[in-house]
Amino acid sequence: MSVRPATLARTAPVAGPRPALRTFLEREGIFGWLMLAPGVLFLLGFVAYPFFYGIFLSLQERRVANPGTFVGFANFVTLAHDAVFWQVVRNTLVYVAVTTVLKLAGGLGMALVMNQAFRGRNLVRAFLLLPFIVPTALSTIAWMWILDPTFSVVNWLLVHGKLITSGYSFLGNATLAMGSLIVVNTWRGMPFYGITLLAGLQTISYDLYEAAAIDGATGFQRFLYVTLPVIKPVLIIVTMFSVIFTFGDFQLIYALTHGGPANATHVFSTLSFDIGMSAGQLGMGAAVALAILPALALLIVGLTIYLRRE
Amino acid sequence: MIIGERTFGRRLLRLYLPLALFVVGMLFPFYWMLITSIKPNRELYNAKIMPLIVYQPTLKHYVDLLYETNFLTWTYNTMLVAVVTTILSLVIGTMMAYPLARMRFPGTAVVAIGVAATYLVPQPLLFIPMADIINRLELGNTLTAVMLTYPTLLIPFCAWLLMGYFKSVPRELEESARIDGASRWQAMARIILPLCVPGLLSAGIFAFTLAQNEFLYALIFLARSDVRTVPIGAITELIRGDVFYWGQLMAAALLGAVPVAVIYSFFVEYYVAGLTAGSVKG
Amino acid sequence: MTTRRDFLTTTAGAVAGATLGVGRAAAALKAMTVVRESSFIKPFDDYFAKTLATDYEKATGIKINYEAVSVGGMLTRLTTIAETKQGPEIAMTALNWPHLFDASLVDVTDLATEIGKKIGPWHDNILDAVVVNKKWKALPWGNIGQLEVYRTDWFKEAGVNKFPDTWEDLLSAGRLLKKAGHPFGFELGHGFGDNHGWLYPLLWSYGGREVDREGKTVLIDSDETAKAVDFCRRFYKETMFEDVLGWTDVNNNKAFFGEQISCTNNASSILVVGKRDFPEIAKVTDHAMNPQGPKGRFHLLNPVSHAVLTHAPDVAAAKAFLRWLYDDKQLSRWLTSGDAYYAPFLNGYDNHPMWGPEPRYLPYKESLKTSRLHGWPGPPSHAMSESVAKYVLVDMFAKACRGDSTKAVIAEAATQLKQIYKAK
Repeated sequence: MSVRPATLARTAPVAGPRPALRTFLEREGIFGWLMLAPGVLFLLGFVAYPFFYGIFLSLQERRVANPGTFVGFANFVTLAHDAVFWQVVRNTLVYVAVTTVLKLAGGLGMALVMNQAFRGRNLVRAFLLLPFIVPTALSTIAWMWILDPTFSVVNWLLVHGKLITSGYSFLGNATLAMGSLIVVNTWRGMPFYGITLLAGLQTISYDLYEAAAIDGATGFQRFLYVTLPVIKPVLIIVTMFSVIFTFGDFQLIYALTHGGPANATHVFSTLSFDIGMSAGQLGMGAAVALAILPALALLIVGLTIYLRRE
Repeated sequence: MIIGERTFGRRLLRLYLPLALFVVGMLFPFYWMLITSIKPNRELYNAKIMPLIVYQPTLKHYVDLLYETNFLTWTYNTMLVAVVTTILSLVIGTMMAYPLARMRFPGTAVVAIGVAATYLVPQPLLFIPMADIINRLELGNTLTAVMLTYPTLLIPFCAWLLMGYFKSVPRELEESARIDGASRWQAMARIILPLCVPGLLSAGIFAFTLAQNEFLYALIFLARSDVRTVPIGAITELIRGDVFYWGQLMAAALLGAVPVAVIYSFFVEYYVAGLTAGSVKG
Repeated sequence: MTTRRDFLTTTAGAVAGATLGVGRAAAALKAMTVVRESSFIKPFDDYFAKTLATDYEKATGIKINYEAVSVGGMLTRLTTIAETKQGPEIAMTALNWPHLFDASLVDVTDLATEIGKKIGPWHDNILDAVVVNKKWKALPWGNIGQLEVYRTDWFKEAGVNKFPDTWEDLLSAGRLLKKAGHPFGFELGHGFGDNHGWLYPLLWSYGGREVDREGKTVLIDSDETAKAVDFCRRFYKETMFEDVLGWTDVNNNKAFFGEQISCTNNASSILVVGKRDFPEIAKVTDHAMNPQGPKGRFHLLNPVSHAVLTHAPDVAAAKAFLRWLYDDKQLSRWLTSGDAYYAPFLNGYDNHPMWGPEPRYLPYKESLKTSRLHGWPGPPSHAMSESVAKYVLVDMFAKACRGDSTKAVIAEAATQLKQIYKAK
C-alpha cells in the first residue's frame, strides 16, 4: 500500500504548540534542506570558495607576493608543451592504476581470509589496521630505512642468503623507485580496503552460501553471485575514495624520493608543490593541480550517477 | 565462503598461510620501527650486523623523546583534534547522508554531485585561500584552525560512506514508523540510525584515522611547538636539516600508533557485535 | 527544531568568540615575532630565544617571540605570510628570496649601510642576493657553505695525503677508493643542498653557464657544458654507486656514518653530528674546498638573512630590533654560539675568534669568496628559483649518469631553461 508520507503527517496526532510549523517542517523538501544546510554551507565556505579562487589563480600569471595578471589558458598551454608535465601525467596514472589494483586484490584477499573464524581474530584484525592508522609521515620514515640500499634489511637478507651479490637500489633506479613507492602505498592502503570489504562480507548471512552450495555452486560461483553483488556498492565507494586520495598523494612521495630520480616518481602533487611553493609560481602551480580535474571529474560523476541509479 | 574448515590441510591453505603472509607483510615495518627505536646509534649505523635483532637494547630514544620534546602535548593535541573533528564530521555527515540517500526532492542530485566534487579539489590548491580565511578569523596557531579545516576532508567522506549504509535499510521500516505517528526526525533517530551503527562506527573510525594522519594543513596552520600534532611535531623537531633523529622518530611513530590501535581493537569488537546482532537482512 | 543543533551552534559560537577574544588581548602586548627555519645547531636557536630575546626585553620592554619552522618549510611559511599579510614581523629569507618577495619586504638600506660601516664592509657576492633594484631588502647573517667532506684515514690508505685539487685528481682518487671498498657518494637526486652544492660548482668550473647576465640568452648548450657532463658521467661510473641517483639530502649523512662512503659534498652537519654521536668517525673526517676545473674553482652561495615584512604594524620597532641584533655586541656572541656554522659576510669578522676552536671549519670561511648563487651569472629572479625547483641542472647531470647521451640531456636542459627564462 503506498500512502504518501505528507498526507500521513497531517493526520498523525501531533503533540506540540504549533502544528502548522511542525507540518511545514515535515515536508520532504524542507526537512531535507534543513538537514543539508549546515554541511552545504560549511563546504561552500571552506571548499567551494578556495576552489574557485584556485581556478582563478590558474588563469593568472601570479608570482608570490606580486599581483597577478590574467593570462587565460596560457599556463595550461605551457604545461602541454612541457615534457616534464607529461612524464608526471604518466607517472601518476601508473601509480594510481597499479596501486588501486593491488590494494583491491589484496584487500579482498585479506577480507576473505579474515572472514573465517579463528582464535585471536579480533586482535589480528586490529593489528592489520596498523599501516593505515599510523601517520604516513612517520611510517614513511621507517620505509626510508627499509629501502636504503646499504641498510635495507631486504638487501641484507638477500645478500646473506646468497641470492644476489649486491643490494638493489630501491630508490635510485628509476623503475625500482616507482615500484618501491607502489609497494609503500599499497602497504598503507590495503587495510582500508580489507576492513571495509570485511564489513560488507559479514553482512552476508551464512544461509545464503549454504543455499547456493546446495544448488551446486562452486566456491568461485558463490563468490561471484552471492558475495560480489552485496559488496559492490561499498566496493565502488571505497575504490573511488582511494583513487582520489592516491591521485593527490603527497607526503609519501615527497619524503622518499621528492620526485626523483630524475623525475621518475614525480606526480601531480609534488610537481604542483614544487612549482607553486619552491618556485613561487602560484598560478602555474594551481594549473598543475587542476590538470587532474577532468579525469577525476569524469570518474566521480560517472560513479555518482551509477550509484544513484541502484 | 565456507567458514571453519575442519581438515587441517585445508585450513592451512585457506587460512593460516595467507594469514601469516598478511600479518608479516603488514606488520614487518612496525617490527622495524620497534627495533629501531630501541637500538643504540652505533648498532643502527652498522651495516654489517644482522639488522633484525637488537644486541644491546636501550630506552634512550624514548626517554629523549619524552623529555626533550613536546611529545605528550602533541599527543594530547592530536587526540583532541581527531575526536572533535570526527564527531563534528559524523554529525554533519549523517545530516547530509540521510536526505541524500533516502529522499528525493529538488536539488538532491546537485548536492550529491557537489559533495563528491569537493574531493576533486586537491589540497595543495586549497591551502592559500584557506590560510587567508583562517588568518582573517585570527585562528592562526590554534587548534580551532585545524578543527575547522579537517572536516572539509572528512564530511564528504562520512556523507558518502553513510549514504551507502543508509541505502541498505528498507523503506518499509521508515514508512511504518511514520504511519505509527513518528515525525521524520524521530523516524530517523529512533529507527534508522540504530540499524546503521556499524556504518557510523565505520565512518567514525576512518574519519578518526584521517584526522590523525593529516599533514599539510597542520603544517601550515600550527607553527608553534605547543599546538602541534604528533606527525608535524615529530617531523619538524626530530629532523634538523639533513640529520634525522631516527631512534626518536621511530619511538614517536610507535607511541603515536599503538594507543590508537588499542582503541580500535575495542571498537572493532563493538562493531562486529552490532553487525551480527541487528542489521542482517534475510 | 532540535536542541542538538542549537547546542552545536552555541558551542561553535562560544569557541570562536573565545579564540577571537584571546587574539585581541595578545595584540595589546608589545611584542614582535621573528620566524626562522630551525637551525641545525640547536644552541644557536636557543641562544636567540632565551638569551638575546631576554636581553632585549630587559632593555626595551618589548617581548621577542621566536617561531621555528622545520627545515625546508620556511619558503612555504613565508609564502603564506606574504600572501595573507599576517603573521611574524621579521622573517628569515635565504638565497634569492628577497627578489621573489621584494614587494612584501621593507627597505633596510639604511641599516645595511650602518652595519657595513661598523663591522663591514660587506662581501661583494652577497649583494646579488639581498639587493633588489639598488635597495637592500634583507640583512644577511651568514652563509651555510657546502664543501667536500672526506675520510682522511681512507684517503691516506689509498696514498692520497692531501685532498685532490682538481676534479680529475678527485676522480683518480675515487677510483682507488672505490676499489678499496670505500666509494664516493655525491647526491644526484631531488634533494636541495647536497646536490646543488657540487653540481653548480662543477658546471661553472668547466666554464659552463646556464644563462647570460641579463637572463636573455640561454648559454648552456656549449662545449664547456658538454665537458662537464662527460666528466660527471665518468665520475659517477668510476667512483659511485647507483643509489646516489635517488638520494635526497639525508642519505649521504647516513651513508657517511654507516661508513659506506669516503667522500661527499655537504654542509658542516656531518662533522658536527660526528663529534657528538660518532667520535671515532669524527676524528678522521675533514673538510676541503671544491676541486677546481679548467676554468676555476667555485662554491655554492647559500646565504641566510633577516627581512622585515611590510605588513608589520610597527616597522620602526622591527628595524630597531634588527639594528640592536646586528650590533657587534650581540652579533658576535650569537654567531659564536652557532659554532662557526654560519660564515658571516662582514669583512670585519674575517679574523673573528669563532674560527679558532675548530680549524676544520676554516674552509667554510675561505670558500665564501668564490661562492655564487644557483643560476649565476643570470639574474637572481623568480626564473632562477623556478629552474632550481624544477631540478633542471641536477636532472641534466643525473640523466647523463644513468646513460643518456650528452647531446640529449643538454638539449633537454636548454629547452627547459628557454621556457623558464622566456629567453632564446
